[in-house]
Amino acid sequence: MDNFALKVEDLVVYLDDLIAVRGVSFVINKGERWGLVGESGAGKSLTALAIMGLLQDGWKTSGAVLHDGMNLLQASDKTLSARRGRTMSMVFQDPTTALNPVAKVGKQITWILRHHMHVTQKDAYEQSLVLLNKMNLPRPESIMDSYPHQLSGGQRQRIMIAMALACYPELIIADEPTTALDVTVQKQVLRLLDAAVTERNCGLLLITHDLPVIAAMCENVAVMYGGRIVETGKISDVFTNPRHPYTKGLLASQPTLDNIDLDGGTRLPSIRGSVPPLYAMPDGCAFAERCDFATQKCKELPELDNQIQQVACWNPVAEARKGA
Amino acid sequence: MSEKLQSVKNSLKRPRKKSRLPLIVGASITLVMVIIGVISMFWIPQDVNVSDPSIRMLPIGTPHHLFGTDFLGRDVTSMLMTGVRTSVIIGASAAFLSLFIGTLFGMLAASISKLDEPIMRTADIFMAMPGIIFALVLASTIGAGYVTTIFALTSFFTPAFVRVTRASSMRVLSEDYISVARLYGRSRLFITIRHVLPNVSSILIVQFTIYFAAGVLSEAGLSFLGVGINRPSVSLGMMLHEAVEQIGITDPLGVWPGLGIVILVIGLNLLGDGLRDYFDPRFSQRVR
Amino acid sequence: MGRFILRRLAFFAITLLTTSVLIFTLIRAAGGNVAAILLGKNSSAEEIHKLSTELGLERPLPVQYFEWMGNFLHGNLGQAFRSKQLASHLIWSQAPVSVPLSLGGLILAIIIAIPLGTFAAKNFNRPSGAFVAVLSQIGIAVPVFWAGLLLSLVFGVHLHLLPTGGWVPWSENFVGALRSLALPVFTLGIVMASTLTRYTRTAILDVMNEDFVRTARASGMSRRVALIKVGLRNASLPLVTVLGLLAAEMVGGTVIIEKVYSLPGISRMILDNVTAREVVVVQSTVMVIVVYVMTINLIIDLAYGLLDPRIRVGK
Ligand SMILES: Nc1ncnc2c1ncn2[C@@H]1O[C@H](COP(=O)(O)OP(=O)(O)OP(=O)(O)O)[C@@H](O)[C@H]1O
Ligand code: SF4
Ligand SMILES: [Mg+2]
Repeated sequence: MDNFALKVEDLVVYLDDLIAVRGVSFVINKGERWGLVGESGAGKSLTALAIMGLLQDGWKTSGAVLHDGMNLLQASDKTLSARRGRTMSMVFQDPTTALNPVAKVGKQITWILRHHMHVTQKDAYEQSLVLLNKMNLPRPESIMDSYPHQLSGGQRQRIMIAMALACYPELIIADEPTTALDVTVQKQVLRLLDAAVTERNCGLLLITHDLPVIAAMCENVAVMYGGRIVETGKISDVFTNPRHPYTKGLLASQPTLDNIDLDGGTRLPSIRGSVPPLYAMPDGCAFAERCDFATQKCKELPELDNQIQQVACWNPVAEARKGA
Repeated sequence: MSEKLQSVKNSLKRPRKKSRLPLIVGASITLVMVIIGVISMFWIPQDVNVSDPSIRMLPIGTPHHLFGTDFLGRDVTSMLMTGVRTSVIIGASAAFLSLFIGTLFGMLAASISKLDEPIMRTADIFMAMPGIIFALVLASTIGAGYVTTIFALTSFFTPAFVRVTRASSMRVLSEDYISVARLYGRSRLFITIRHVLPNVSSILIVQFTIYFAAGVLSEAGLSFLGVGINRPSVSLGMMLHEAVEQIGITDPLGVWPGLGIVILVIGLNLLGDGLRDYFDPRFSQRVR
Repeated sequence: MGRFILRRLAFFAITLLTTSVLIFTLIRAAGGNVAAILLGKNSSAEEIHKLSTELGLERPLPVQYFEWMGNFLHGNLGQAFRSKQLASHLIWSQAPVSVPLSLGGLILAIIIAIPLGTFAAKNFNRPSGAFVAVLSQIGIAVPVFWAGLLLSLVFGVHLHLLPTGGWVPWSENFVGALRSLALPVFTLGIVMASTLTRYTRTAILDVMNEDFVRTARASGMSRRVALIKVGLRNASLPLVTVLGLLAAEMVGGTVIIEKVYSLPGISRMILDNVTAREVVVVQSTVMVIVVYVMTINLIIDLAYGLLDPRIRVGK
């Protein structure tokens, strides 16, 4: 048995002549929590959907996604659907639209258990109650008997997580699972996710814009830009000592105690310019247009280097330049 | 490391452009039909109401009577040309009037909240009524003809335009830049006319072609029942009415008017679909 | 749900009321002098006046309206001026033709369109799906009566399979009645199915792009299972609304098809009575048809309420 939950090798995701993910590789071991960050449009969601085989019609993939002993990119819809929800599951961003509005919550949860675990309706019901209980949902019986529209966003997202955890998957992908929730609920939901990973020793890929969340929850992080991973490594390394100019800019634009200007509120430095659109993606480094360190060399595509904290940049930020 | 990226790059295909074929075919058919209609206003081979018993029921392809003659010896080519004209005029007028009235009320409903309920409920009522029954009654009480038919069709097409305009206007009115315009003290009605109309015009053009087609079909149905267009005017539905009344369903002349209607309606529907694709913002973004 | 039902019932009542006023005004205001028409060209002004008074047509229109409506609500639909036949009797006598024809057509349309539309949606990017889409596109463009003419040419005149017109009453010969309705129902069914197929296809394609279908697939449903278990059920909501619109189309189609196949149904009855200026009979008949369509609409609305838990259960 593999000791990784997911291995992505040189994943390319494209639609006709638009390449959105341009060669992404990473490995998530069991029990490992990975954060995936990056600007809007970096290709995070498409990477996740490609792994799950849930891309919309027309999108194509290349490379390999290894999970449960096979390359998922070459598997049929039938083979994939036998894995989805059982060995790998996904939690989506918007819980208000993610549940079937015409089916009771109970039916949606028990279906998963009965389908994948072949348990009886009665057992499925009992197990669902246990799951909902674990999600800190009060009165699980009445929740099982509710339609999604009767529940709050936070409740629905917990249900989504319960559904994702139902069959003890090896891999959970959560794509901005808390963006649509209010702040107090966000923390609770993340804690649940965190506890589940610890308890079940599964791999987690957490996509978010919230760097503190990643810092608090994950051991590893991958920073995506322009459809590529530009920097990856241990949280402690990457966040304290960013080597890629984009990562550095990203961290600098986060509110921290250091950059709160006591006289005039917060003044956060932001990265100038914006992500190039897919149809105008340069052949070389995608960040070049916005990068202060860009040189002639950057017209070529930088690959991740072989350091422990990998970076794809011709002129990585040196330790010494950190403060500059 | 990224061989895949390179190989994908080498194998990329331009996106298959959504075919413009429906648009072109639809526009061509419509144009040809309109041209036939316009020509018939100035010239037709023969007066459509002049009968000649000596040349009754001539077959297709007879010299001087390309499509033959009917049971009274009237020239079918001339009747077909005139019939196409009638279809185009009635379909276009009904669709245009509905567009005009419907847009007006739709925008009023969207921009003046007091009027919203009354206008929409009235539209609902008209929408749920069996239009043909009313047209039938109307035609037999105030008399059949162009005006009655157009009036009846307009009454029953207008609600659809009201709904579409209102829905689209509401959507545009909820956008950010509209709130900015409101901050500058513009009234909702002004904003609707200034900002919403240009935004919904493409939807309305598509809707226009669809109801143009519906108008052609409805007119044909009414005339077939004998309560739409009557002699001395000629319409395609009326020709079928005459053929069935006089000869029965085996009349070979029953084919051409029906085919004429089908071609015109398919042309208009294709045009509508083509325009919809052409205007679709999602699509045009993708094409970039 | 309770409030929803109340709202629907209120709308039902208001629509009927409005329509009745509309019908009455249209027929009376535009109908010309009924007595003069009834008496023919060579009648004197006195005769006309006398008959008008006799028939109660001299009284103010609102009075006549309320009398008519009052009677209508009590089940008294009035009678013909000339033959003195009861309107209710006239209407009842054509119901065995028009009701089975219209409902049969609607049901057939549903039976054809739902699977076909689903198929077209499922195979939307394959030639087979495109073929169905094109077929329904053509079907939409064919006028009902022309479809009727072509079908009776093929099945009646050339293949001699079915009668192409005329009517055998149910009581006389049940099978005969069925046979005379077969082609009309088929015609109406396939013409309405064209529209419905198209709507079904769009509704399913729209639903399959929804987030919750993605969730369903993420939890282990294959494309096919997600389509059947989640897609169809959700697509049924917009489709039910479309059925309401089809109900009005159904009446129009029925009227025309009766004419094509010379069936003694509602259309012949209305046409005859309109020509004869039997205004009361016409008013009541049209009103009955409106009630028929509105009732179908009401049932559909309530069914929608039942199908959609967001309405049925509330918060
Ligand atoms: N259906 C589509 N058609 C065309 N381009 C698309 C489509 N969906 C996504 N894209 C493009 O693919 C790129 C990557 O999208 P993706 O959704 O993966 O970004 P993301 O990193 O998840 O961003 P966000 O943080 O906003 O969720 C973007 O440039 C986006 O515009
Ligand atoms: S490769 Fe060049 S342009 Fe890209 S981030 Fe590094 S220095 Fe900047
Ligand atoms: Mg995303």
